[in-house]
Amino acid sequence: MEQRPSGDIFDSCDEFARTLAEVDVGGMLAETASAVSAGTRASFLRRCLGAAAGVGALLTATDAEAAIAATKNDVAILQFDLVLEYLQAGLYTEAERLDALTPSTLAWARVVGAHERAHVRAIKSLLGRKTVPSPGFDYGNVTSNEQAFIKTAVAFEDLTAALLKWQAPRLDSRSILAAVVTLHSVETRHAAWIRHIVGLEPATTAFDKPASQRKMAELIDSTHFVASKPRVARKAQPPYSG
Amino acid sequence: MDGSCGRSEHALFDAARAPRQVKTNRRQLVRRGVLGGAATISGISLLGTGGLSAGAAPSESQDQKIFNFALLLEYIQAAFYSEAVDHGRLRGEVREFAEIVSQHEREHVKYLQAALGPHARERPALSFGDATHDQRKFLAAAVLLENTGVSAYNGQAANLTKKALVAAAEIVSVEGRHAAWVSDLAGQDPAPRAADPGVSASAVASTLRRTGFLKPA
Repeated sequence: MEQRPSGDIFDSCDEFARTLAEVDVGGMLAETASAVSAGTRASFLRRCLGAAAGVGALLTATDAEAAIAATKNDVAILQFDLVLEYLQAGLYTEAERLDALTPSTLAWARVVGAHERAHVRAIKSLLGRKTVPSPGFDYGNVTSNEQAFIKTAVAFEDLTAALLKWQAPRLDSRSILAAVVTLHSVETRHAAWIRHIVGLEPATTAFDKPASQRKMAELIDSTHFVASKPRVARKAQPPYSG
Repeated sequence: MDGSCGRSEHALFDAARAPRQVKTNRRQLVRRGVLGGAATISGISLLGTGGLSAGAAPSESQDQKIFNFALLLEYIQAAFYSEAVDHGRLRGEVREFAEIVSQHEREHVKYLQAALGPHARERPALSFGDATHDQRKFLAAAVLLENTGVSAYNGQAANLTKKALVAAAEIVSVEGRHAAWVSDLAGQDPAPRAADPGVSASAVASTLRRTGFLKPA
């Protein structure tokens, strides 16, 4: 079994790193690397996420046809997320356009809006032909009223992070999982950041609990933001027990 | 201490969950008062290297390796914040941040120790130099440690079993919040990009090595 680190702490770090590097040989990392150099969606993803090659690789899954290879379960999860990202991207983009919030809130909306738009493009890319169009949204006065906007933004960021935690272990594809977790931690950053701006504690607990798609669907319903029905119904509850 | 094996997966995680209900005692960590040379924290590029270190199919033994790696990170974070709080040199909200986050990191340590049982690695010898005294150096080190935590967990997510992933996701979520919070306090961008790429274990190890916080045994 796992042996206690006996000598230099660095050695045990390196040993662990080597272990993972060994098992990776000929594995997913190599495949993703070749998929990236082959072009396809990778360059697009790199551009929209503005990150190192690693991100493009992560979000391109293991090969160019990953989107088609995704299971029905994974497609349902990604479609749900896509609609959620449409909703958030629309919310923050409209707030930015109306320019009625305080400067600090607006600065947050500008950065986070750009991220959510990037998430829309990334998830669409993962879905390929299984992508769904955006529903129509009506945000009422939420995009121009400071208090309403903050309340909504905090709720959506906290709950989106919780939702992705709920979905992660329910994904079949490890490649899609690896991509989704890179979005998850950014949502937690958004949540902590807006909380900090408005004087709420950014991190209230040592362990953030997951929240189900049903819970998120309820929040979306309660806002009445969806003016015309999205195609993804909340039936998308993938089976996972344990 | 090393003889126990064959705990079922359920036992592993049930045991790990139990302590989370228990209130943590304050300042349980052993204080390391050793003042080595000043920790040099340069602008290490955290997120540019590595990527998914996709290993063999997830297994309980792989979970153990990954959790032990995570435990090393959490030991460093917990000891760093505890020492900074104990020294009492931080001011204002930075002090509040250190107090709250040190509690979180100690809970992460306890969780991982419980999950690993007899396989949990021992606390490393650590030396933080000025980073726990000097507010500016503290902020720089905290930003580095939190960002490293996020990228390390993200890099291993797909290598974990589903059960281990559930726990790791709850932890990395909080690391992401810490990272954003302390970045804001340090005047840096709380969410510098649209995705937080995972970083390989070897890149994380290099970053940790470069902090100078880990003392060779």
